[in-house]
Amino acid sequence: MSAMARTLLHRLASEIELRMLLLTVVVMAGLAMVSPYFLTLNNLLNVMDQSVVVGMVALGQTMVILIGGIDLSVGSLAGMTGIILGLACKPLGLGGAIALCLGVGALAGLINGLIITFGRVAPFVVTLGMMSIARSMAYVISGANSIGDLPPGLGALSSSDVFGLPLNFAILLVIYALAWWFLARAKGGRTLYAIGSNAEAARVAGLSIRLWSVAAYGLSGVMSALAATFLASRILSIDPIGGNGLELDSIAAVVIGGASLFGGRGAIVGTLFGVFIMVFIRNGLNLLNVSPYWQGTAIGAIIIAAVLLERVLSARRS
Amino acid sequence: MSLLALRAISKSFGPTRALDGVHFALAAGEVHALVGANGAGKSTLARIISGHLRPDRGAILLDEKPLRLAGSRDAIRHGIAMVTQETTLAPDLSVLENIMLPRLGLPGRLRWSAWRAEAAGLTAQLDQTAMLPLDAPVRQLAIGQRQIVEILKALALESRIIIFDEPTASLSPLESERLFTIMRRLAARGRGLIFVSHRLEEIFAVTDRITVLREGRVVANARPTVDLVPGELVRLMVGRELSDVYARAGGGGAQKNQNMVLEVSHLASPPVVRDVSFVVRQGEIVGLAGLVGAGRSETVETIFGLRRATGGEVHYLGAPFRPRHPREAIRAGIGFIPEDRRGQGIVPDFSVRENLLLAHLGGHRGIGLAYGARNAAIAELMGLLDLPARRLLDANMLNFSGGMQQKVILARWLLLEPKLLLLDEPTRGVDIGTRSGIYALLRRIAAGGVAVVVVSSDFEEIIGLADRIVVLSDGVTVSELPGGQVDIEHLAILAAPRSSAAGIRALLGDLVAAAGGIAYWIGVEGERLVCFDRVGDNQAADPGFAVGGLLPVAASAIPAALTAARGELVREADGSRQSLLIALTGRRGHDLGVIGITLPGAAPAPDGPALRRRISAGLAAWAADDAEARAA
Repeated sequence: MSAMARTLLHRLASEIELRMLLLTVVVMAGLAMVSPYFLTLNNLLNVMDQSVVVGMVALGQTMVILIGGIDLSVGSLAGMTGIILGLACKPLGLGGAIALCLGVGALAGLINGLIITFGRVAPFVVTLGMMSIARSMAYVISGANSIGDLPPGLGALSSSDVFGLPLNFAILLVIYALAWWFLARAKGGRTLYAIGSNAEAARVAGLSIRLWSVAAYGLSGVMSALAATFLASRILSIDPIGGNGLELDSIAAVVIGGASLFGGRGAIVGTLFGVFIMVFIRNGLNLLNVSPYWQGTAIGAIIIAAVLLERVLSARRS
Repeated sequence: MSLLALRAISKSFGPTRALDGVHFALAAGEVHALVGANGAGKSTLARIISGHLRPDRGAILLDEKPLRLAGSRDAIRHGIAMVTQETTLAPDLSVLENIMLPRLGLPGRLRWSAWRAEAAGLTAQLDQTAMLPLDAPVRQLAIGQRQIVEILKALALESRIIIFDEPTASLSPLESERLFTIMRRLAARGRGLIFVSHRLEEIFAVTDRITVLREGRVVANARPTVDLVPGELVRLMVGRELSDVYARAGGGGAQKNQNMVLEVSHLASPPVVRDVSFVVRQGEIVGLAGLVGAGRSETVETIFGLRRATGGEVHYLGAPFRPRHPREAIRAGIGFIPEDRRGQGIVPDFSVRENLLLAHLGGHRGIGLAYGARNAAIAELMGLLDLPARRLLDANMLNFSGGMQQKVILARWLLLEPKLLLLDEPTRGVDIGTRSGIYALLRRIAAGGVAVVVVSSDFEEIIGLADRIVVLSDGVTVSELPGGQVDIEHLAILAAPRSSAAGIRALLGDLVAAAGGIAYWIGVEGERLVCFDRVGDNQAADPGFAVGGLLPVAASAIPAALTAARGELVREADGSRQSLLIALTGRRGHDLGVIGITLPGAAPAPDGPALRRRISAGLAAWAADDAEARAA
């Protein structure tokens, strides 16, 4: 093996981003070979559109998983905040409604974070409780009815373009760029990694571990509400069951993206590729006319394979 | 003939040599103490005997036949069991189920009625039938009772060798007493017991022979317990030779007129820190000496804001200082190197560079990282610490030796240019070579005007390194000594664990209030005495020694009283003083020193028997309080 190949292999083993890029390219190439339609512009635009909602939720989920936590409430929160958005459009106007929606998402996330951090309750339990509460509130507030008749301005979020990219996808990329900066170059982001890796050492070194733990859950709540906004803009209708399953999709994206569920290890770019891979596979299976019932099996197999791969690679590292 | 013999056992962890050619022999029917300071290798040895670790070299002989242990199960099969403070019981199963748990893994039917009879028999053997209901879930039992279940489990396996690894760490005095009774009984029935502990009083109370380890080597092999005294044992544990690793850079030490950096007075942080006072000046290295559990780590953690102070005061740079959080301490210019490097120091997923910058990040105000601003300082520090920057900075912290890691943690704090540096066991797990480098560095840091506090269990290290030594025992400052001049024996006597120094102090106060004069608590070792505490200020009654002083009995002002029998009122030959001394003995009959009161010779002769009764009553009350406090 040449030295160059060895260096490349070493970097592949040590850098999540590179590994995920390669994996995404492989998946794309595979799908392009089996379906001529996959690489057409129309289909790619479709794929971008589909990755927006899960991408937003997965971003918040990444922050939470980095500190060694988990947020099961994201899907229900998207449902609840979506209903609030829909009902508030008339009295508050679109801008006010979106602000209220994001505010409620932040509040619910902060409640999660405060109980987990100061009450020292397991994140799994607290967010499981919040998952149930938020879904129930979505039904209570909406009277179990769908809300249609949303202002056309909301639809523009998903139907307009900017620099040749769909606006919603462009916004997703901007938010991911900000998150990348935050995790790599900001004090708060590095604190999240340190908490997940060794919270006690972080405390002794003077880092604000409680503040940033609560903030991670708060951010996850905001991202759920933002996802709800884009979900509503795509179909211009809101259903109390909306966002169902996003908790599992987002955790799957983060895990496929190479993060450790024990915290301290992972990358935001990895999560983005994790989202793409999931959406590609779903899309590819649709193009191949595979029954949608098989999609769960495919996604599940990929999650398990990704974690196994991560285990093998980290065993090699140490 | 020995039940178990270890021949030339060696064991290394990476570059650290934990055991080096250790010989050890256990006879049937004895309780054999395995003693040593932190990191001496006693736990490693215990884990080798119990099959948890495999030795790199050397042989284990059971009944004089070679034994190869494949794991702890294998050891249990050969009749070797281990009892630790963290028991390995299943909390939701009953006592009976736990005792018989190993049999659930064997083929065949469950014979609960036969097993119940067997367990009842074993419980009766230990005289625990009334204390230990077989059907109670283990979750409901106190820790002491759980250990007894663990012992019963070992007995049900017909274990002949039982290792007790620090079993009393979280037991009340009553529970410890009960455990010791059981241990003696097991030994009397021909089993061999190994007792690992650092509590000297317990070692003297329960063991027959003592083997002392220091830095992985045996320094005293199977010495009969009756031939040793506590001072001698501590000296064996901590070593005596002062090698040249501590070489002082001439003069050294701060002058009296240097600026005061830290003043700690009567600091209390329950449950461990009770009354700690000391000062540190600019450019000075102060050592906090004492044994494990004396409250040294807790004291520095309180100063750094990791624990809450409930009493006393800390002045830092002349102003009252009580940080609620490490961040406040860091921003005030204090650095802290914790004892548990892996648990409290290293962030394993960060590169060495980012680990080095961790405290910078903690103290940093602002949104970004400002790492770039530190590049020059890092380069300089890497040179100062003799660290290979190119190989190091982007690598994983865990790839390097303990000494290298410690240097990086040290650099983490030096980067912030602290005014006060607190170090807890800075050379734990650090090889000898790197140690002298760290000592030299600490001297250089101090010479640069930083106030340095070093906590260490290694008396040799503290004597070699510190300008002044503050001795803690049971959460109370008992003495302050100049470094360099003091010897290890002196330090050992002062640091020897004494229960309830605060309770004794209250008793001394009572005595002085009632009878006047000066009351004191001293230890007498042969021809020398050391004063642990002293209350009262009547010059005419001065017994001739001050707290922390070590002097010949003859040099005191009351030699007659010190050499006479205890419990009698003794008048000195020149008639200047009259004293009453009473021996202080622990619950298990070992020597805790002497309580005394001296009155001026001219004073009317006090009522001796009344005074004696008063001291005895005070001691009894103190012992009861002490037992209660520890149980709670």
